[in-house]
Amino acid sequence: MQVKKGVVKVPLSVDERWDLIEKITKQTVEFGAYKHTLKDAIAELTVKPLTGIPVAIAVLYGFWSFFCDFAGTLFTDGFMVKIFDEHWLPWLQSVFPGGLGDPLYALMVDAGHLENGVLVPSDNCFEAFGVLTSGLFVPFGVVLWAVLAFYLVFAFLEDIGYLPRLAVLVDTVLHKIGLHGYAIVPTFLSLGCNVPGVMATRVLETRKQRFLMITLLGIFIPCGAQIGIMQDLVPELMGWIFLTLAIGYLGFGYILNKIVPGESPEIIMDVPPYRMPALRNIARKLWIRTSRFLLVAVPFVLLGCLIVGLMYLTGAMDWLASVLGPLLMVWFGVPKEAVAPLIAGFLRKDLAVGVLGGLMERGVMTHFQVFTSVVLLSIYFPCLATFALMLKEENWKEFLGSLASLVVVVFVYGGLIHLVGLMLGVA
Amino acid sequence: MNEAEEKFGQVYFTILGAVALAFGAAELIASAGGGFTWGILDSSGATDPLFLPWRAIILLSVGFFYLSSVKDFAEVHQLAKAVMASIMIWIVAGMAIWTRIASSIPGEETWFNSLEGFLASYAPPYCPEMFLLPFSLVIVYYIMKEKEGEK
Repeated sequence: MQVKKGVVKVPLSVDERWDLIEKITKQTVEFGAYKHTLKDAIAELTVKPLTGIPVAIAVLYGFWSFFCDFAGTLFTDGFMVKIFDEHWLPWLQSVFPGGLGDPLYALMVDAGHLENGVLVPSDNCFEAFGVLTSGLFVPFGVVLWAVLAFYLVFAFLEDIGYLPRLAVLVDTVLHKIGLHGYAIVPTFLSLGCNVPGVMATRVLETRKQRFLMITLLGIFIPCGAQIGIMQDLVPELMGWIFLTLAIGYLGFGYILNKIVPGESPEIIMDVPPYRMPALRNIARKLWIRTSRFLLVAVPFVLLGCLIVGLMYLTGAMDWLASVLGPLLMVWFGVPKEAVAPLIAGFLRKDLAVGVLGGLMERGVMTHFQVFTSVVLLSIYFPCLATFALMLKEENWKEFLGSLASLVVVVFVYGGLIHLVGLMLGVA
Repeated sequence: MNEAEEKFGQVYFTILGAVALAFGAAELIASAGGGFTWGILDSSGATDPLFLPWRAIILLSVGFFYLSSVKDFAEVHQLAKAVMASIMIWIVAGMAIWTRIASSIPGEETWFNSLEGFLASYAPPYCPEMFLLPFSLVIVYYIMKEKEGEK
């Protein structure tokens, strides 16, 4: 109760508030016959599950097709691979002092690889692992186009008003894991870059919902960097990888929702009418999101390359591989050669996927082993930038909870995938 | 929309819906065997084998949308179903065209494709949605008619 200048203010109960709303509405709103327009009818169709789900399937198909062709076919394969592999790498290999076997050369340009016991230079920037080769190719040759394609379609869907309808459609499903329809926004944003995704969890009401969302994003949502490289190296496995991640997202979300105490309240969603997209809005959103990705993620890619290179040079990677190797090989069913990239994936998941793709091409790993390794890379330890943001957005207790969930999920889910592979006879 | 236009719409979209259903069923069956190419009709799964069943589900939905719209076709909610079905075809066919554009610009060995290579990228075979695309555009006439009625 508040007393101000002799007036006693008593807070209204929920029922009293609704009564008040009804009284105000009666006095201010005129009711009459309203003829639905074609736009209204289409808007209705896209939120009703029976018609809305097929439409969502078509929209997601368009989303994915555009992403693959824009980022993969047109820019990365069409131009960037040529620029980096046919011009940039050979030029650096010819002018950088030291040459193959020199520590600084290995760190900055090309570590090379052994063929029949002989150290040979790499012929592509994925395998060179240098700060100036892989470190630049990954963000500018692959990831930038993936992020650009992703955010372009995302901004378009946001601007025409489809995204809130998608939120209404998935609301029932997301309630099963303690979230609500608007959780689709951080989830989709994370598919571009986890950093804005984690920041977008602020749209959720309670600490429980934010904890659930951040944990699920950190574990099950691969970022544009990873998706771009996965699409480039293992396009035939993409469908299965996403299916496995979606099952994990919903399954572990359901379990976490049961374990974590706290509230998951209902919300009323505002669904705006469909509108023509404004080019200016789309361009502005695209610029803000892409520039944020470039500023936050690129330094981490370069730093990751440098640290991974140093770990290989100092023998730290071999030591870690020998210590963790037996556990990873037995539990996840991956070959010895995959252990080092899996460990390197703690620093740069995208680079690790690149190395795994190379191992598959050389016949060292089977399709199933690559599939298991790529899923593992997706679900374990978020990238350093996301990790730093999680620390900022969560309190210590929640942060440790997220990390504990992550460790449990990696071992349980990774083990389950291996078990399924064994039962199917493909592992 | 007058009675003749409504009648025409009912017959036209019944046929288009049936064709879409048939194409969808064919793609679904084809997806079990990894896809097929028959003359100028292409039902292969491109790079990802999941693309084919995904497309089949969309085509089947398009067929059902068209067929469910024909009863009382002039009513706005019914017309909206046919509009939505056409939009779904535009999305899938539009992406098939975009795939060709994206692959026609860069060359195999050179920076840009040769004129012959560029033109060859647009040659048949085409996916079923590309064949449905021109026929689905008839809905634009009905949208304009409906807009006139709204004014």
